[in-house]
Amino acid sequence: MLGKKLAYLLLCVWYLSINAVTSVSASEITVYTYQHVPFAEQTDAHHQGMIIDIIDELFTRANMEYKVIFNPLKRGLTMTARDQNVCVLPIVRTQQIESEYRWVGPILISRYGLFSAESKSIPLVTLQDAKHLSIGTYLGSGISEYLDSFRYQVQLTNEDGLNIKKLDRSRIDLWAAELISAKALMTQSKMQLGEPELIFHTSLRAMACNEALDVSKHQALVNALNEMYQDGFMAKINLAYGASL
Amino acid sequence: MQKLIPLLNTSIVIITKVLLRVVVSVTLSTAVVATTVSAVEPQIFDKADPQGKLLVNSQLDHTQQDTYEQQLNPQQLQWLKSEFQPSTLSLAEQKKEMLWFQHKAQAFKGMEIRVVSERINTHQYEANVLAKAFFDITGIHVIHELTNEDDVIKKFSAQLMTGQRLYDAYISDSDLIGSHFRQQHVMSITDLINHHAKDFTLPTLDLSDFIGLAFTTGPDGKIYQLPDQQFANLYWYRSDWFANSDYQKRFESKYGYPLGIPQNWQAYEDIANFFTNDIGEIAGTKVYGHMDYAKSDPSLGWRISDAWLSMAGVGDKGLPNGLPVDEWGIRVEDCRPVGASVERGGALNSPAAIYAIEKYKEWLIKYAPPEAKQLTFSESGDWAAKGNIAQQIFWYTAFVPDYTKKGLSVMNNDGTPKWRVAPSPVGKYWQKGMKSGYQDTGAWTFLNHTPEENQIAAWLYAQFVVSKTVSLKKTLVGATPIRQSDIASDIMTEQAPYLGGLVEFYRSHARDVWTPTGTNVPDYPGMAGYWWQAISRIIEGELSVTDGMNALAAQIDQHLIRLQDQDLICGPKVNKQVKPSIWLNKPGSPKQLMPEEVKGKTLPFEEAINAW
Repeated sequence: MLGKKLAYLLLCVWYLSINAVTSVSASEITVYTYQHVPFAEQTDAHHQGMIIDIIDELFTRANMEYKVIFNPLKRGLTMTARDQNVCVLPIVRTQQIESEYRWVGPILISRYGLFSAESKSIPLVTLQDAKHLSIGTYLGSGISEYLDSFRYQVQLTNEDGLNIKKLDRSRIDLWAAELISAKALMTQSKMQLGEPELIFHTSLRAMACNEALDVSKHQALVNALNEMYQDGFMAKINLAYGASL
Repeated sequence: MQKLIPLLNTSIVIITKVLLRVVVSVTLSTAVVATTVSAVEPQIFDKADPQGKLLVNSQLDHTQQDTYEQQLNPQQLQWLKSEFQPSTLSLAEQKKEMLWFQHKAQAFKGMEIRVVSERINTHQYEANVLAKAFFDITGIHVIHELTNEDDVIKKFSAQLMTGQRLYDAYISDSDLIGSHFRQQHVMSITDLINHHAKDFTLPTLDLSDFIGLAFTTGPDGKIYQLPDQQFANLYWYRSDWFANSDYQKRFESKYGYPLGIPQNWQAYEDIANFFTNDIGEIAGTKVYGHMDYAKSDPSLGWRISDAWLSMAGVGDKGLPNGLPVDEWGIRVEDCRPVGASVERGGALNSPAAIYAIEKYKEWLIKYAPPEAKQLTFSESGDWAAKGNIAQQIFWYTAFVPDYTKKGLSVMNNDGTPKWRVAPSPVGKYWQKGMKSGYQDTGAWTFLNHTPEENQIAAWLYAQFVVSKTVSLKKTLVGATPIRQSDIASDIMTEQAPYLGGLVEFYRSHARDVWTPTGTNVPDYPGMAGYWWQAISRIIEGELSVTDGMNALAAQIDQHLIRLQDQDLICGPKVNKQVKPSIWLNKPGSPKQLMPEEVKGKTLPFEEAINAW
């Protein structure tokens, strides 16, 4: 009889503990980001970068638990579309995908430039001046879709850094890249292309969350971000990482 | 030392590129440097309107002092002689305008400024051609970015939220006028002209010539935005099919009245049924009597918030938007929004609004191509140009250039279209004296916090792209006229047969009763998103039309309530909820249910035009 009671008790404890774990994990938000120097970087020991700092501040202020996972962008988008308590950032927020997510942003404001090879100068007054030139960018990037929509001659790579080599070997005329990432990639590749020929586009990048994310959680994150702009946190962090316009 | 090598390389690259740039810059500006010195006679301007008089007074002082010491170089003259023709100005007058720009831009030469607009043909022309001409003439480098319409609004909001200077100026729709005058983030054009940029205002700007100025003027009398392009939403139909005697006989024998321009929604519905179901196929191709779009997307919101409810007759009489209840169903008392739901005196969930959405959904399902439900605004844009659509009740005239290309199946060999635009039919709740449709102007908008020299340089570019020197050519490229002088020109008379009724619309009084979102809407960027989300749930069947509109009205009410806490000029002061019958029993909007149907009515094209 005692054995049955003990078994029942143990079952209850197990049930309650499982239930508690489940409810904690259900309330936790999984945030996907991707290797995106200098905004988000995963080293052996830890995560670092402007995006990591912003995520931490955002969720702390919203009083929400979270964990960050590094994965390729496409995987992050897939996971976000699949599960309710999942977000991914930074994502270029555009009208085409506005209805697919619940948005928290802007987290980053990015400018994109057209870089020519080290030894070349291709003066551009308007983007249209580059119409006859081949432009390198990378697969899945918002800027490749943007240029493609205007029927520019876009050539895609799997990694953005490869475009620097392609420029060097004259396989493309111009490289379309986000300015701050471009600097970091140039340093990594030990090649300096100088200033862009033309800074032609500005994009808003935000955190995209599953469209079924609880309304109150979404609102808490939106409010926290608003507060971060209002009290100067975002201005300071933009300045610290050289991301101010 | 190894660490120094990349730095050294960087320096060499930068120095090399700078040297290359100097060479390029010198080459580009050689002609400017080499120009001969010559004085230009100061101009005296005669304007009939008050703002014009003000300009005359202000300009006389400094134009008399000005002696433009440069002439246009051959490259700059080439812009006038080739690209900027035709124009309502003579070449000599164009030259004077361009010399004025060149002279006033001297202080800003070498500056780079950044502006943004949506990506319709008119703005592509500006970004690709006019920005380049402006650079050649003034030395100011304008990066004119193009993006989707909703993105323009998002970027505008982001600049306000973050305090970062994304752009020096925006071209955004005048739908935001209710936000601009209340929130005061925008430097008004009136203030620019009279104070901040007084010495940099084109003497021949001629404000009274702009046909859309009323759309961008707040209740306080200030002009908040300068029109750059203007478009209307009209009824589009295949005039060749409507003229077919066999179709005419068959339609009249079945429906009891002639096939013609529908004057009401019942006639539109009958014609939709006639082509989709009675005719069905023409020359072996399936044809449809209706085209629309309904994908869950921000553009789905504009499909309804851009005057669809006013066309149904939801609002009150009174132009431009209905007073005191407008096409968003928002009631305003003493300039303060007091509610959108019937329970608070609005009409967003009124019987007329529910009728409007029911008809939108019913026609989409019954008469449009099955693909329409999965299309966005831009994706649906060229559908009717493929040649299998008989009519479209909600068609933007910004598409005219895409519908008049040679070789399209909707074009005749002589370059005239097989289609026409006409006044939009109206719903059963509509009464004379009410707004009849949607028209808007994409207009230059300047934020207060923009640094003064960037703002003035952007102001010069804005005036350049709307100047009389370039505006007629721009109108011919984009079919989005902004100036009365262009609309009245002989060139537009010559072009009229090739533009399917667009010129007739803009020469008629109809352009006064086709209006944008009005001043009842206090926070367009913050409230526009509710529309597409609500309509999407209705289209997907998640909510009934009644429940969906009740939810939308409640959301708009709540937003108005939240705005009460902000210190806005003419801010909302929301009414308490009462029984709907209390408001429905009062005269005007919200209107009681009209169960009876009306008989379809059509008119021949000429009579429909005369009705304008």
